[in-house]
Amino acid sequence: MIPMQKNGPVALLFHTLVVAFVLAPLVVICLVAFTPENTLSIPTTSFSLRWFREIFRHPDFVASFVNSLWLASLAATLSVAISVPAALAIDRYDFPGRNALNALFLSPLIIPHLVLGVAFLRLFALIGATGSFAWLVACHVVVITPYVLRLVMAAFTGLDRSAEQAAMTLGASHWTVFRRVTAPMILPGITGGWLLAFINSFDELTMSIFVTSPQTVTLPVRMYMYATESIDPMMAAVSALMIALTAAAMLVLDRAFGLDKILVGQK
Amino acid sequence: MSFLTLEKLSKVYGDFAAARDIDLSVAKGEFVSLLGPSGCGKTTTLQMIAGLVEPTTGTIMLDGRDITRETPNKRGLGIVFQSYALFPHMTVAQNVAFGLEMRKVAKAERDERVATMLGLVHLGGFAERYPRQLSGGQRQRVAIARALVIQPPVLLLDEPLSNLDAKLREEMQFELRRIQQRVGTTTIMVTHDQAEALSISDRVVVMEQGRMTQVDAPYKLYENPATPFISTFVGKMNRLDGVWRKGAAEIAGIALPSEASGFVEGQAIALSVRPEKIALKPAGQGRLDGTIANRFFLGGSWLFTVETPAGAILVSAPNDGEEPAREGAKVALDWALASQRIEPLAQGAAA
Repeated sequence: MIPMQKNGPVALLFHTLVVAFVLAPLVVICLVAFTPENTLSIPTTSFSLRWFREIFRHPDFVASFVNSLWLASLAATLSVAISVPAALAIDRYDFPGRNALNALFLSPLIIPHLVLGVAFLRLFALIGATGSFAWLVACHVVVITPYVLRLVMAAFTGLDRSAEQAAMTLGASHWTVFRRVTAPMILPGITGGWLLAFINSFDELTMSIFVTSPQTVTLPVRMYMYATESIDPMMAAVSALMIALTAAAMLVLDRAFGLDKILVGQK
Repeated sequence: MSFLTLEKLSKVYGDFAAARDIDLSVAKGEFVSLLGPSGCGKTTTLQMIAGLVEPTTGTIMLDGRDITRETPNKRGLGIVFQSYALFPHMTVAQNVAFGLEMRKVAKAERDERVATMLGLVHLGGFAERYPRQLSGGQRQRVAIARALVIQPPVLLLDEPLSNLDAKLREEMQFELRRIQQRVGTTTIMVTHDQAEALSISDRVVVMEQGRMTQVDAPYKLYENPATPFISTFVGKMNRLDGVWRKGAAEIAGIALPSEASGFVEGQAIALSVRPEKIALKPAGQGRLDGTIANRFFLGGSWLFTVETPAGAILVSAPNDGEEPAREGAKVALDWALASQRIEPLAQGAAA
């Protein structure tokens, strides 16, 4: 182990500022969530849970939240299922159209979500497929796959191929090698990719505005629609809840597997 | 009776031949090293035997069976990779058991064989550790145990000691030989370290630029190198370029008598003699006079660089407990005629 170097006073100040810059908005929104007032204000005299109770008086919010959870889980899982074989093919084999395929998979990164949203809307109108949950999942798979593919490909590139060769010489078939050796070794890339995809899908607003129907409204879209009509501290309460849920999920993952192990690899 | 036979084995990439016409017969239980500098084709040859690289031409016979086109998982050979290639997510015991699991060996027998093998490589207490919790030498022994537990007909070692520090490398050389002799497995080792190849092999195959240039027992290789390259690559060698004149080798105007014959007057020749075959004598009492330029104490011996009219010459003398001649001292170099070799200098004549 390399011992950690100590920060100098300037570096320490700089790091403090960076951390403060990142955390300040989250702290403010969480404080606002507890306001007893009717406006977005930081509570000074007393705290109240009225805006949290307010959320549960809006069943459409709860439904959207559940909808978003399902959407993000499904989309992230599908994206992983596509990315692992795709990354394997792009990393290991030289075939015609290899670079084109790579570029195709990554292209959603450079196309603005607004453009994608309009394009999907037109496409669905043409083929008469508007409004279904399945198509919403498909759209999300398109926009989150670049992230998963990048992480999984990085995992493949960093893989010591000789471990696979060793397994093969010990008598394992191709499929057994993948299942017993390759997959566990790239697991950090896969889980990291899944998490990143989940978060991206859960957050996605711009494209979703165009492709959701009243039955499939996601949480960000619901919040956006609500916020365009009225600004009240319930938005802050929803945000605070989401922050708390994310933090809790991270905590559980860390306790269960260790975040280092999932996102960085074996320690 | 040959157990493993390579016949005219070649691997060609485009117009570059990584290995060309490799012919080798290995007897059962033999320890053969493939020795050469990087890029000489030794690893390619090993990978062809393992089935990881497909030969362009030639055949590989194992125990009378043609395995040239067999996939690596059907060959059943044991391989130790340079990076050890342990499975990082499995414990030592799981790593070693992997090959047995693939062979559908029952759990009870598997556990027993794994335990026996770990005992053989002195890792009995480490079964539940993960590779990352082991030192380099321990990982290496896990890799050997994993390769040997399947009782392979042939064990292939790819630079198995190159990632270890000098002291550990020496220990592991003997360890490797001990294990190999104990198990009796036919072994082929790839190495670029001549000392490693000489110390533990029954035979050494020297490779240069994709070709085999000499196959011999280590001491024969050392005493009778087939090419100038081998003479300098295997051990240290003094090579003095000169011409053949009046039945003697003439180096920089000095005539050095020789038993050799068959050279033409004026032909370019090279005289070579190993440092340990040269004795230091008082000035004027040897074949060549010189001045000690440097001396290095190596523990068991002293290594001198002696400046002579014929060029700088390395001399190795055993440490007899007394301090030998210092830098700047005038000495004479003497050696037996039988320990020098004279060869025609093909390149020199052409240049």
